[in-house]
Amino acid sequence: MEYQITHITEYEYEQPIGLCHNTARLALRDTTDQQCKRTTVQVSPQPDQINEYLDFFGNKVIYFAIQREHKNLKVTVQSIVEKKPISGIPLNLYTDIPWTDVRLQLHEKGAAHLEARQYIHHTDFTRPDEEIHRYALQSFTAGRSMYDATKDLMQRIFYDFDFTQGFTTVSTPLTEVMKTRKGVCQDFAHLAIACIRSMGLPARYVSGYIETIPPKGQEKLFGVDASHAWFSVYIPNTGWIDFDPTNNIIPGAQHITIGWGRDYADVTPLKGVILASGKHALQVSVDVRRLG
Amino acid sequence: MISPAAQYDFLKGYFTPEYSAEYIFGENTALRQYWDSFLQSFAQLGEEEILSRSQDMSRFLKENGVTYHIYGHPSGLNRTWNLDIIPFLIDEKDWNIIESGLSQRAILFDLILKDIYGEQKLIKEGILPMEIVYCHRGFLRECVGIQQPGTHNLVIYSADMAKSKDGSIWVLNDRTQAPSGSGYALENRMAMARIVPELFNGLKVKRLSPYYNAMRNALINIAPHNNPQPRIVILTPGSNNETYFEHSFLSSYLGFTLVQGDDLMVKDNFVWLKTLGGLEKVDVIVRRVDDVYCDPLELKEDSQLGIPGLLQVARCGNVSIANPLGSSVIENPGLLPFLPAIAEYFLGEPLILPTIASWWCGQEKELQYVLDHLSTLVIKRIYRESFTRTSIDATLLDAKNLAELKERIKTQPHLYVAQEKVDFAVTPSLVNGKIEPCHALFRSFAVSNQDGYKVMAGGLTRTTLDKENMVISNQLGGFSKDTWVLSGEDSNTVNIKKEQEQGSTVASPVYQSNVLPSRNAENLYWVGRYAERVLGNARFQRTVMQYVEEANRAFMDNDMALKQCLLSSLTRYTHTYPGFTTDDIEKKVQEPWEELGSILFDSSRTGSLGYNLDSFIRSVHSVRDYWSTDTWRVLREMEDAWQLASSAKHKGHYKMLSAVDAIITSMMAFISLNRESISRDQGWTLLDTGRKIEQSLLLISMLQTTLISKQEDMVEYILQEAVLKSNESLVNYRFKYRAHLQLSLVLDLMLLDPNNPRSLMYQLERLKAYVSGLPKMHSDHSLAEHERLALEALTTLRLANKDELCKADTATNRYEELEIFLGKMYKILFSISDVVSKTYFKHAQAQRQLFR
Repeated sequence: MEYQITHITEYEYEQPIGLCHNTARLALRDTTDQQCKRTTVQVSPQPDQINEYLDFFGNKVIYFAIQREHKNLKVTVQSIVEKKPISGIPLNLYTDIPWTDVRLQLHEKGAAHLEARQYIHHTDFTRPDEEIHRYALQSFTAGRSMYDATKDLMQRIFYDFDFTQGFTTVSTPLTEVMKTRKGVCQDFAHLAIACIRSMGLPARYVSGYIETIPPKGQEKLFGVDASHAWFSVYIPNTGWIDFDPTNNIIPGAQHITIGWGRDYADVTPLKGVILASGKHALQVSVDVRRLG
Repeated sequence: MISPAAQYDFLKGYFTPEYSAEYIFGENTALRQYWDSFLQSFAQLGEEEILSRSQDMSRFLKENGVTYHIYGHPSGLNRTWNLDIIPFLIDEKDWNIIESGLSQRAILFDLILKDIYGEQKLIKEGILPMEIVYCHRGFLRECVGIQQPGTHNLVIYSADMAKSKDGSIWVLNDRTQAPSGSGYALENRMAMARIVPELFNGLKVKRLSPYYNAMRNALINIAPHNNPQPRIVILTPGSNNETYFEHSFLSSYLGFTLVQGDDLMVKDNFVWLKTLGGLEKVDVIVRRVDDVYCDPLELKEDSQLGIPGLLQVARCGNVSIANPLGSSVIENPGLLPFLPAIAEYFLGEPLILPTIASWWCGQEKELQYVLDHLSTLVIKRIYRESFTRTSIDATLLDAKNLAELKERIKTQPHLYVAQEKVDFAVTPSLVNGKIEPCHALFRSFAVSNQDGYKVMAGGLTRTTLDKENMVISNQLGGFSKDTWVLSGEDSNTVNIKKEQEQGSTVASPVYQSNVLPSRNAENLYWVGRYAERVLGNARFQRTVMQYVEEANRAFMDNDMALKQCLLSSLTRYTHTYPGFTTDDIEKKVQEPWEELGSILFDSSRTGSLGYNLDSFIRSVHSVRDYWSTDTWRVLREMEDAWQLASSAKHKGHYKMLSAVDAIITSMMAFISLNRESISRDQGWTLLDTGRKIEQSLLLISMLQTTLISKQEDMVEYILQEAVLKSNESLVNYRFKYRAHLQLSLVLDLMLLDPNNPRSLMYQLERLKAYVSGLPKMHSDHSLAEHERLALEALTTLRLANKDELCKADTATNRYEELEIFLGKMYKILFSISDVVSKTYFKHAQAQRQLFR
């Protein structure tokens, strides 16, 4: 299955600005079940400087700077990606590893699980409090398998929390999300990660897209999709398994991964610094479209 | 009670009965020999002389502007540096251990740094637990893989050391972020050499300057693309930083431009310095800003201290940073328990300076040990959190605090390290005229030098009187000491003269063109403006106060009307509304002194003399390396005298007048000193531009507030006299016109006379010349906007018709032509200031994050 993703970000400034620096994490990385065939990045006005590199987590980063006066900035990233059906191991092979064993294995000395171990400790975005830890304990009960416990946690978040756009911002603390039980996909991903890490287990934040299917009989409109976020947990000898608490599903072909990190701050899709004093307005549109 | 040993009888007066000389000076015979020699010179000076030299020392440090800022303390800004006249002595044997030990440690820490941001073999091979690196806030994942030229990534390393009672030397802290103190160490040495040169007699003290030469070379060697003449800048968080003195001191000693984040910008994958004349490429940044604050694009987003895009340039290899971004990860007590194994792994040798027994709580067994023995240990977090202490001496905690600490450790054990508490030796210090034992912490520095490191033969010693607590920090107060490394041989020891001159005489391959960062340009401009504003306000207020005094005594007919005019003019002139412009003015005029006092001393009041003086002092401090020692002395005296006058309980009229006199004299001295002694082309052009703009605006404003409305002849006469007097032009008037005062002649003298140095014509002619001297932004021959405006101002003035200006409108009872004319001039001058700011002070743009 091939998808074409078009992600347009537009800034409009009140005052013309003479210099901006930006980093975009919008180009898709290859994973076990996806292969990015092509990415085109269009920035208007034309940047004076573009650097491309991989970050610490292996995500693709595009840095660009515009050094001439401009009043708006438009970043269009278009990718074509092939999703492969997971050839992987049937679920039942690893579902029975208890989460306590996972914890033991990960804390063993040596290089075996180094990559995963960096995702055990909390970050500013995933700082747990007592309440969050208690919430986690309800899913991570004695003897339960890692897979079942995580899936249970995902389900509970899906049923216990309301998806409410505009209620939270990037800087809303997780404790607030926990208290009000409202948020968006980033919040739910962060919450799940905080829960899992509070159990001493590794979890990472995944940034990406999800294909939305229009109601039967209606044509899909351009730009109705959005960037999405979910989380992933590590099971020794198996690897990372994704969970989407916003939709209560194990991501498959409809989830397209951009990249991952410890939390949102590691994979912010687009950020920038401008030299200006006026206000600015932002518009984002995302389109995920099946090709053939 | 123990009396000092007989051999120190000649020092009797210095000892308190509590301590024996053995206790104070220690039993190390090698060191005792040096102490004996030192104390001979010390005793020869005599108690009185020592006291007077100590005072000279304080004055010297104060005049040189040596300060250390204390956060959150009411008088914390610019606390004067305290220097003990008794130095910290280190003998040759100890020094050899310290020198080789620090050098080894620097090499080791460099290897650890490279490994953490490279292959991470220490972690992969299980020598170092991952959490010690990954959970440290200083591990900047954005910096992984960045390569910098030069042998070492760790350019500057510093360590705090102390001597235990058994004579061994221990490293207490490693500093790799942006080690401070090397400038203070040098300043201490200069002060000692200057004030008490006799104390060096008979002792061979090693010199500090080789360290700074090595530092200069090290910085040149890390320049990108093998540039043999790199531009090197020192990046400071600004003049509110605790160690700002040192940043500015090192900048002038080493000849590197001192900059703040917004003096620099990233363009075309290079770093540039914004100067008055345009952009200049920067090759090496000596960083005194913590690394996470250095790039708001990729690191701490709300930092206003950094340069957006800096990491991109570092990644491209177009700028080198000392120490590189990310190096604070090895300022990490978590490394200590593993250091012997790391030394074995990388170097195949044991540590020369042993580490204090330490336990990382991230391991189960170690954690248990620490919890069981907590009350005997010192606890450290693996990274510093701003403004909280990293070290907790658990031996001083009560049961409740111990329990709390245990809980904290148990929640995040991997963030804590425990250390054995060591009993440290004392060192003699002069405290209130007595020699007493103090705990001392000694910091030295190592800088990358070819294959190894060059260690400073000396350093910064800090002491505390607190017998229990070994936590010494400048933030907590205490004294500093010069540190003398004593040598048996002659070579390379202090030649006092040489040490002092070193800074200016080192032949430097560093690229230095005559650049003026645009921030400094702006500050100099405001120094000029505030200097004249203080002077103008002081003169006018002095004149007004004198008239008010006299009117009271002389029982003049019109004294009420006159006083009203003068006092309300003062309010309008100084913008200290409502003041004498309210409806109940008559009452206020009867008793004007309280308000007059407030306009002088209430520095929280916008427009008051105290307020303008504060603004002036702030501007002066923000370009501190532009002023000579003489200028500093004038400034200090001005501040001290003003402080004294404004804090006096009883403020009689006479005292107020004399405080104003003092300000005027000091400010005149400040202005003429700068004129006489310094030439730094562009900077002084700006300072003078500021002065001329302010003088012109003030003169116009004074004429507007005093002469516009028509008064009775007698009152008008005195107002004109007051204008002339407060512009120091009365004598000039009498000499020139030999006539009674009349408006047309007053205007002739104050506006049009090109030979009167106080006239508007005089100011504008100079202003026109100064603004033409500012760097051109375009290569064509057309006038720049500010040049055009200066010409317009001058021409408008030249075309003015004096007789028209003197005609009063009988209907409104005002000199309307004059009012319109002055209003027009004021507007043009104001635009000049505006245009100069916009054209040349480019750093002033606010930086912000795009939201998402």
